[in-house]
Amino acid sequence: MLKLLLALSGFIFSQALFSQGFQVNFQGQKQQGMGCAGTALFQDGASLFYNPGSAGFSNENSVNVAMTGVLANVLYVDSATGEGYRTNSPIGTPFSAYGLFQSKKEARLKYGIAVYTPFGSTVQYEDGWIGRFALTRLELKAIFIQPTLSFRFNDYVSIGGGPILTTGNVNLQKDIPVQFADGSYANVELSGKAIGYGFNAGIHAKLSEQLALGLTYRSQVNMNLNNGYATFTVPSSLEPNFPSGKFTSSLPLPSVTTVGLAFTPSEKFAAVLDINHVGWKAYDTLAFDYEQNTASLADTKSARNYKDIFAFRGGISYRVMEEMDVRLGGGFGFSPVQNGYVTPETPDKNRAYYTFGWTYRFGEHFSMDVSVYYTQIKRGDRNLETNLAGTFTTKAIAPGFSLVYKW
Amino acid sequence: MKYYFLIAFIGLGITSCKPKFEEPEMSAGEINPTRFVMVGGAHTAGYMDDALYFDGQENSLANLIAGQLEKVGGGSFYQPLVSANSVGVNLNGLSKLKLGYKTDCENVASLSPLRVAATGDLSIWSDNLYNANSHFGNYGLPGLKVSDAFTANYAAQNNYFNRMKSVVSASVMEDAMAQNPTFFSLFLGLDDVMAYAKAGGKGQTLPTALEFQTDYTAVVEELISSGAKGVLATIPDVTEMPYFTTIPYNGLALTEADAGNLDLLNNVYNPLGYFFDYGNNPFMMVDSTANDFAVRQLLPGEYLLLSLPLDSVKCHQVGVLYPFRDEFVLSLQEVNLLRSRITAYNQVITNLSNQYGLALVRTDEFIGSLTDGFVYNGVSMSAKFVSGGAYSLDGIHLNARGNAVLANQFIKAINSKYKARIPAVNATATSAILFP
Repeated sequence: MLKLLLALSGFIFSQALFSQGFQVNFQGQKQQGMGCAGTALFQDGASLFYNPGSAGFSNENSVNVAMTGVLANVLYVDSATGEGYRTNSPIGTPFSAYGLFQSKKEARLKYGIAVYTPFGSTVQYEDGWIGRFALTRLELKAIFIQPTLSFRFNDYVSIGGGPILTTGNVNLQKDIPVQFADGSYANVELSGKAIGYGFNAGIHAKLSEQLALGLTYRSQVNMNLNNGYATFTVPSSLEPNFPSGKFTSSLPLPSVTTVGLAFTPSEKFAAVLDINHVGWKAYDTLAFDYEQNTASLADTKSARNYKDIFAFRGGISYRVMEEMDVRLGGGFGFSPVQNGYVTPETPDKNRAYYTFGWTYRFGEHFSMDVSVYYTQIKRGDRNLETNLAGTFTTKAIAPGFSLVYKW
Repeated sequence: MKYYFLIAFIGLGITSCKPKFEEPEMSAGEINPTRFVMVGGAHTAGYMDDALYFDGQENSLANLIAGQLEKVGGGSFYQPLVSANSVGVNLNGLSKLKLGYKTDCENVASLSPLRVAATGDLSIWSDNLYNANSHFGNYGLPGLKVSDAFTANYAAQNNYFNRMKSVVSASVMEDAMAQNPTFFSLFLGLDDVMAYAKAGGKGQTLPTALEFQTDYTAVVEELISSGAKGVLATIPDVTEMPYFTTIPYNGLALTEADAGNLDLLNNVYNPLGYFFDYGNNPFMMVDSTANDFAVRQLLPGEYLLLSLPLDSVKCHQVGVLYPFRDEFVLSLQEVNLLRSRITAYNQVITNLSNQYGLALVRTDEFIGSLTDGFVYNGVSMSAKFVSGGAYSLDGIHLNARGNAVLANQFIKAINSKYKARIPAVNATATSAILFP
């Protein structure tokens, strides 16, 4: 007769996910040394990522493996309490591997395979931090595989492209504001494999001996989690409210359109400039669809309302001696995250960054590249969904190296 | 050589990779927080889960505010703490509540607030913790009415005061003023209103606006008599609390399975002009003014109290064939009186805050905001019983987290009135409701 007194429907479960981290362009050490730019300058196998069209201007077989260590630290200062909380994230290790081949010297058609991990990071906040109900830990791993063909029409124009196959893992953890008898909080772990498809295409045009133009388009990749699993750890009395089970979700990785310029006045000196347009507008909502809904566990739709942005990247390279190049670069990117939508996994802001790079050739075939990336950003906001109000300060330094063998 | 340079460069970068934490600026502004005293009722005392007990006191409004004042120069703050392992005691001598499984008359086990012990800890009433050297700051006393603030021998009528009185003849205000408060908080009047509302309006009277004005003004003027600044709190509309909102007036849900009962009810009540149908129906209550049979259906806007004998409602036709007695219902007339008085009291409080330049907390607005609910640092909070996460298991007093969020309203009011920068309490570090 009387409706259940304890209508446990108030534990609204809201969601947040994914980071802008995958836009850092840590896909080639030489490019990283030059501000993560290089759309109009063939460098090595990593150009398969930066501009598949530019490979047509290469004249080599090469294999290139690289790894970058991303050391990122976030400090969150809550505006109401003044308390500070940090991340203790493990070092991110995005890697890449490229193979670039031609059937004979000076062939106009090149074959390439690119494997890269544009996001491979883990964000972990300290225990008991004030935003624990928004996020405690987020781990993203995705591997992009891009077989590529590049064709040089003539000495001036080359095009290239290839499909992108993406497979990734997501693992998100956060606390739920219901407590066990001992006072500890319930939590949820959402994990799953995501698969997506896209393509990368580009044109590289040599306007003159000294000036080149690059134009690329990397399509949007929708990462679909069709078989995610949500594991709820809740007090036994609430297990019927929070049933562990399957969920589906999807995340758009935005399209990137790039215009790049390269200026090579001499054999020793090169300067590059890239302008990216990133189609972040595609990320307007993050939705989770649970297979089994209850009064406490409804499907969620969280507004993200990202906006399209431009980023400007540039750098120079100088051949100090026969065996050695040094590089300097930097960039500025606008943040796609609008006020009211900053979340612990995307404490993003308009950012300036600086890079340094160095190459050493051990001979005709073998060389090594090193790069370092540094940025610091500070973003204050009140999130409209969680009311988390404070300032995130992020410092990131990313040293990387690669080994290149060519023949 | 160049290698070393590079390694040094990278090493430098790594070590300087952590953003530096700078302690935010804090200040007491125009107040002197040295000796803080809060005067009030049950909420101030830390009464929750229908009892006074240790964890509740640790998270009392008074203690939470004092904890933040300490960060801007406030002194030590003492409360008449009960022992940490005590089961607590309520106004009727019962223990605190916790969530547990209760099997109802239909043999269905469900989560319900249960007493943790057969009786409360009566020693709480007999102990006296007064110590001339450790000054109590929390003069929150469950059940303290405005008119009793200056009542001598008050411990004789309020067992909780027995714990902290300096002498037998003491009044609350006399002992509070003996602490020489340099800053005060006053959250008085809610227990007057609550006494009336919890009794369903039966056998209780509310102070008139004039009586309230006289008594409340006397308390304020005493508190400011030595130049102390302070913060006054308005009184919330208690009918917004889960104790009154959990069981709807039309909570009698009849389904096809209740066909026989539906016929019975219609046979009995149709002659009086009351009709029942499938779906939600109003409960029946006793009302001597209704008709010759002194029963009527509840009306929209009337409230049923959580003190209802729920088993009897589920299985024994209480509230239906056997109408609810008046003490379980706030009738429209009682609700109107309650609200008009609260409005009048709040006018008095607001006027005094203006007159004496004191800070003002609109607890009525805060309690009202829980009706629709809000999100605090990712935590949804509302006035929903148990699941809302703001009220304790008695449905009247806020739980620790609710108190922390309300304490932040006090701090906000103090900061804005006195140009202070007192940091807020981290309410996510406090407990709400513990589930088995």
